[in-house]
Amino acid sequence: MSYYFTILSPTDTPIFNIAFGTSKGGGDGIARFRFPDTAQYMNQFIIHSSLDILEEAQWTNGGIGARFLLLHQPPQLPSSGSSSTLGASSLLGSSGSTTRASSSSVAANPTSPQTEEAVRQFMSEVYESFVKTAMSPFYKQGMEIRSPVFRSKITAAGKKWL
Amino acid sequence: MTSPGDGTPVKPPPSFSPGVARNASKSRYPDESEATASLDAELADARTGSSPTSPLPTATAELPIRSSSPQSRSGRSSTPQLARSSIGSPFDGRSDGSEDIRSLIIRAFSPTVAVHASEDTDALVRNKGFKGGFWDLVRPFGETIPGKVVIRDSIGSSRAWEDYGVRFVNIKGLGAANAARDSPLAQMEEVLEKQLNSGEDTLGGAISGKDVLGIPATTPLSKLFLRQLLSSTSATPHETFGHPVASVIAISSRNTAPLETLRQLYAESNTGEKRLPDWIQQDYLRYYVLIHDEERDDIAESTKLYDQMKRHFGLHCHLLRLRSSQCVVTDDDSTQVPPCEWLSPQEHLLGVGEAETLVDLGTDGTPYLFDSDATAIKTFIRELMVQSVIPFMENRVAVWNDQVASRRRGISGRLAAVSRRWPFGSSSRSGIGSSGGNSGNYDTTQNFYAPESPEATLRKMADFAFMLRDWKLAASTYDMIRSDFGNDKAWKYHAGAHEMCAVSMLLNPLAMSAKIKLESVDQMFETACYSYLTRCSDAPHALRSLTLAVELLKSRGGSAIETAARWAMRVMDFGLVESIGQILFMERVAACYASKTTVTGAKWGARRRKAGMWSILAADQWLKAGKPSLASACLEEAERLYADVLEADGAFPMPEMQTFVDNLRHAVKVEYLEARGFDARDESPIEDPIGTEEISEKLDKRSHRRSLIGLPAQLDAGNLKLSPGPGTLEEAPNDDFERA
Repeated sequence: MSYYFTILSPTDTPIFNIAFGTSKGGGDGIARFRFPDTAQYMNQFIIHSSLDILEEAQWTNGGIGARFLLLHQPPQLPSSGSSSTLGASSLLGSSGSTTRASSSSVAANPTSPQTEEAVRQFMSEVYESFVKTAMSPFYKQGMEIRSPVFRSKITAAGKKWL
Repeated sequence: MTSPGDGTPVKPPPSFSPGVARNASKSRYPDESEATASLDAELADARTGSSPTSPLPTATAELPIRSSSPQSRSGRSSTPQLARSSIGSPFDGRSDGSEDIRSLIIRAFSPTVAVHASEDTDALVRNKGFKGGFWDLVRPFGETIPGKVVIRDSIGSSRAWEDYGVRFVNIKGLGAANAARDSPLAQMEEVLEKQLNSGEDTLGGAISGKDVLGIPATTPLSKLFLRQLLSSTSATPHETFGHPVASVIAISSRNTAPLETLRQLYAESNTGEKRLPDWIQQDYLRYYVLIHDEERDDIAESTKLYDQMKRHFGLHCHLLRLRSSQCVVTDDDSTQVPPCEWLSPQEHLLGVGEAETLVDLGTDGTPYLFDSDATAIKTFIRELMVQSVIPFMENRVAVWNDQVASRRRGISGRLAAVSRRWPFGSSSRSGIGSSGGNSGNYDTTQNFYAPESPEATLRKMADFAFMLRDWKLAASTYDMIRSDFGNDKAWKYHAGAHEMCAVSMLLNPLAMSAKIKLESVDQMFETACYSYLTRCSDAPHALRSLTLAVELLKSRGGSAIETAARWAMRVMDFGLVESIGQILFMERVAACYASKTTVTGAKWGARRRKAGMWSILAADQWLKAGKPSLASACLEEAERLYADVLEADGAFPMPEMQTFVDNLRHAVKVEYLEARGFDARDESPIEDPIGTEEISEKLDKRSHRRSLIGLPAQLDAGNLKLSPGPGTLEEAPNDDFERA
């Protein structure tokens, strides 16, 4: 199972990208997408298209608390054969819907409650470190996050939960 | 959530003046006007009314890509469309395309009438240039019956249909339908390929079948695909759409022993060599036709004979007056025979429908008829249907409903069904041990029900009701029998009943207000698909049911669209379609998502990004398939879809996406121009967004996506298009106009 995690700015620009594989069950934490040649842009396409759902959900699902949406993009075929690229995207943010985080993954069973719970844990940890990073006086809203500390924290969270 | 009624106000893309963008590109590419005109011909004529700024509407050069130039909502109002579709349909204001598809699907399930003509009749007709005989002559005319056809449904209310049709089949072909041949799916693919290669230009021109609202309706290619699919299945035991409802027995006035011949033809079809297979019910309607040769025979004689026929065979008779000589184009009152709409893939490959291409040559491949003959045939078909076949079917449905279905529906019927399953006493055929055992009517060795068994009769009744467009009765009947088939392990019947139950529920305009129904429909398609595919490995039928699911759910609108898109993806996953079919289904997914409308007044709820993504994928695949003009149409479509959700300059926020799309654009452009004999290789991809001509000044410095602006305060303000994005864009073309 591989994950592609993105934090988007309010204008949909990605401010943080990371791809990693699972560390559970003997995984080595390296992302292996089903179609490596198309994975780069397909992941972004999937994330971008999942904004549709996100957009709808943020208005229909009550207030914008720290809530999690785990949405599964149906299987689709970037090139040929049968694949199951699944996109999961999550909405984070407690005060305003200014922060969004998305992750997409190729998974054997991404619908299981265990996976969902793991993603939820991962997200809340990411959210914490994101808030810390965003509060840095040198960080302006919408800037790309380049902090290596943040990246290592995300990697660690990924290793821990996913 | 969205009832069909309020799905209408689709937010139109920001209104551009389309002529302008085209002018801009014209200045760059002055010499491609003729070459690319065809791509644009269709768009041009849709827009001429609304683009007075364009001085040369047809000659304007058009690059394959107009980057980020959203199609304007054409100037026509939607009123004529409303007027058209409001004939008792609750889909008022639904996009024209889906009405079209619905009608196509409905017409695909027309009653079948077998044609059984005597030798002399066929000889007479062959003389007129129709190689297939009488069947060949009447077939094209049956596809649309002129005028309204009034049908009474089971509760006695009548409804008029404009688009009723009938399928004529040759009685010889009915029994031996399943001869050895490669699968219809492969044939379909071949037909599509052929069509693509032959009609590249025409398709390229007409590919963007936009309807009034600007929602992508259907492309001609996907319509062809659907038509192919629906006409590919031959008569099978498990469904009776291909079984004849009636048979036309025809003799001509040349016959020396007319009444004997009629009797003999009847006997031949009843017991003789032309007897239909055992699984077809034999008591269909017989209709007797006397063809009078206007040129060689005496009408008085024929009338006398006709009177005699009426006395012998009852009222189901007709006197058809035809001229026996062949008609050519140059004759005064010649009319062209309409092309056959429902040709099976096999016939397509054999070139049955090819005659049209020779039209301007006037060769003998093109069938022509005298005006009087055409009128006579039309009258004959109308009379056959309105006075005989439809009343016959109505009567049959009423009788079966009364005798078989109601007995089955009642409490005693249910008890009987149960007790039949557990036969007490003698002849325990299925054995008491097997709970839910079979009813014994299913012939497991030959895999069909005897046509007289209640199961087969009910299925036939449901099919009749379906063909008479009484979907409510059809749905309830299918619903009643579908579990019986499961108990009997008659899997094909089982799948068919599930499929048709779901289809008729979706076609029934009044049912299905609740969401629960949608789920049950979904479940039925699932079952049908599983039974067809896994239990019977019948891919064509599985594909048919899934395609019907996609199209009908899509036309439902609202939340059903998501399901429709999911089924389309399932089709691709199952590998039911080959390469071209795959691309077509990608386009269908895009179309599904594109037709999902926003919540009234709000900006969310649409699936523009998903639709755009699928369009781009389709464009990529078309390009790989070597069809740049189709790819460019898809790309254009994608840009139109993305125009709503992207920033005003049409740039993607994600870098890799942007590069991919840019490269794709460039590749499409290069291939497109190359295909037309231009060398565009020297052009660098950076220079690519030609056509936009950097007209958009980015005035808005907002920091949120559009969906966040104007919400939720504007929810009640109707569909205001106040967001700054379109505003700035609207400025831009004006500038350009001055410049131009």
